[in-house]
Amino acid sequence: MIQVKELKKNFGDLEVLKGINTTFERGKTNLIIGQSGSGKTVFMKCLVGLLEPDQGGVHYDNLNFTRMKGLERNIIRQKMGMLFQGSALFDSLNVEENVMFPLEMFNKDMSRKEKLERAHFCLDRVNILDANHLFPAEISGGMKKRVAIARAIANSPDYLFCDEPNSGLDPTTAIVIDQLISEITKEFQMTTVINTHDMNSVMEIGDHVVFLYKGNLCWEGSSEEILTTGNKQVEDFVYASELMRKLK
Amino acid sequence: MILFIKLFRESAMFAWTSIAANKLRTLLTLLGITIGIFAIISVFSVVDTLERQIRGSIASLGENVIYIQKWPWEFSADFAWWRYMNRPTPRISELDDVMRRTQVVEAAAFIASTSRTIEYLNRSMERIPVLSVSHDYDKVRNFEIERGRYFSPTESTAGRNVAILGYEVAQNLFQQTDPLGKNIKAFGRNIEVIGVFSKEGDDTFGNSHDESIVVPVTFISSFIDVNSDRYNPAILAKGKEYYSSEEVIDELRGAMRAIRRIKPTVDDNFALNQSSLLSKQFDGVFAVLKLAGWIIGGFSILVGGFGIANIMFVSVKERTSIIGIQKALGAKNYFILLQFLAEAVILSLLGGAIGLLMVFGVSWLATYAMDIDFMLTTKNILMGINISVIIGLVAGFIPAWTASRLNPVDAIRSNG
Repeated sequence: MIQVKELKKNFGDLEVLKGINTTFERGKTNLIIGQSGSGKTVFMKCLVGLLEPDQGGVHYDNLNFTRMKGLERNIIRQKMGMLFQGSALFDSLNVEENVMFPLEMFNKDMSRKEKLERAHFCLDRVNILDANHLFPAEISGGMKKRVAIARAIANSPDYLFCDEPNSGLDPTTAIVIDQLISEITKEFQMTTVINTHDMNSVMEIGDHVVFLYKGNLCWEGSSEEILTTGNKQVEDFVYASELMRKLK
Repeated sequence: MILFIKLFRESAMFAWTSIAANKLRTLLTLLGITIGIFAIISVFSVVDTLERQIRGSIASLGENVIYIQKWPWEFSADFAWWRYMNRPTPRISELDDVMRRTQVVEAAAFIASTSRTIEYLNRSMERIPVLSVSHDYDKVRNFEIERGRYFSPTESTAGRNVAILGYEVAQNLFQQTDPLGKNIKAFGRNIEVIGVFSKEGDDTFGNSHDESIVVPVTFISSFIDVNSDRYNPAILAKGKEYYSSEEVIDELRGAMRAIRRIKPTVDDNFALNQSSLLSKQFDGVFAVLKLAGWIIGGFSILVGGFGIANIMFVSVKERTSIIGIQKALGAKNYFILLQFLAEAVILSLLGGAIGLLMVFGVSWLATYAMDIDFMLTTKNILMGINISVIIGLVAGFIPAWTASRLNPVDAIRSNG
């Protein structure tokens, strides 16, 4: 479980996050949505410790991550898996080696064989074990996402952070990836936080949806509730497209 | 340690991929290092080759052998030649006196040289050096006789018309025929060949016996005045074992001054030369040559170092987002530092290796074209490698340090 308490972040005079309070629960896919410039990315970076909040804090299973330093923070970071926008695989490493990278960085005590076995397990879980010796340039965008997911879960994380996991994917593949993330979240009982503005993802896998608007948490609820919220900002976002308006 | 090796391997792999992806850029950058290493190592190889040849030649003059001559072995620009002009030359009559008046001299020999046309049947060789020696010449000079023998005491004292031929002289005059027992003609006399020297090869100071003949001085003194300055007479004195050359020189100086009755207040009118004098004079020449190599190569390497630093900054810029992702996935600062340092060292080593290959190629060509045995020694190869590694480390450190200190957020955000 991740608890966010009164989180504030400024860049000079610009208030990007204006005191956010929310809770991301274990075993659920938590989605952060909002328009461009709403503060989603800054919020995500504050969650993982890549940016330091100016006020408030982030608590991982009741431990105040924001106040932690050095080694203590590293222990929590080892429990985090990250899925970057555009997969961000290392071109020089093959699929298997990409998945092993966080294992090499964090698990000094694991033998090479154990790391390899773990990498194979993760690749098998995302159904891409056959491609273990291929290089990123030799696989499709969807496959890259799978490899990135396998790399994100390689360290058996308690918390999984995904930044725009569907970017650059066709709708069908995007749904497959969404479902894969949702499945592994429940299977490994992770606390998954996804930064997205893809409404399909919201509707497919959004157990808990947080809507940010101009740095404020404007609304939160489930994917079912989002369609009937009555919140103007949320409705403007959800029904932004002609298709959604017709569906409504 | 194992972890370090694994990380280094990982870093090297990243580095190699980057290098392989930018071949032309890499090659151009490496040119400075290549030229620098080529300049330094080739100069060192030339110096080593010359040094080996010269030291070999000096050694052939005989260890602990003092040359009593008119002229000192001195090559400096301020050589006061006029001070030695009127000195008397060593005389054959002084040889016995030298032996009689010294305790630490094991053997001494008189030598004088001239040149003559040597004939055998219808073949002849012009201006062949004829070395006339007293009997103990074989005790003061290092040489081997391939066929035949050295002069007998009787031949030496009686002035018999016998000769030992240099290897090349024997080859040219006699070709397939065995020269032993045959008569060559010189000084208008028949001279019997009693031996042939082993091939000695080129000598820096022209001391090789290959293209000369050796005859007893007692024989030749019937035709020329061996004591004359024009025949470069010298007495060679070899010190006994366990006596230093300084002790031998001291005693020889005393003996020669006594023989020539030089008053205590008057300077020597002879020179006591030794091979170590030559070595010392060449040490200075070699040091200057090596310094020149360092200066020429150093500038090139400096340029190469800047090139590597430049390419490394570009590399860091290009891979900024990768650095960020690596850091976000747990890579520590030292891993990033090591990764870029490894790349810089590999680049530099590659440049150095090309330079060494060039030296190898040039020395191989020179060996065949100039008939000189050029050496690319292990010491020089290791030196080239070490220089490359050091340049790589120095040139790559600041870019690698910059990369390792990148903020992961900024790094991931970048488009690099």
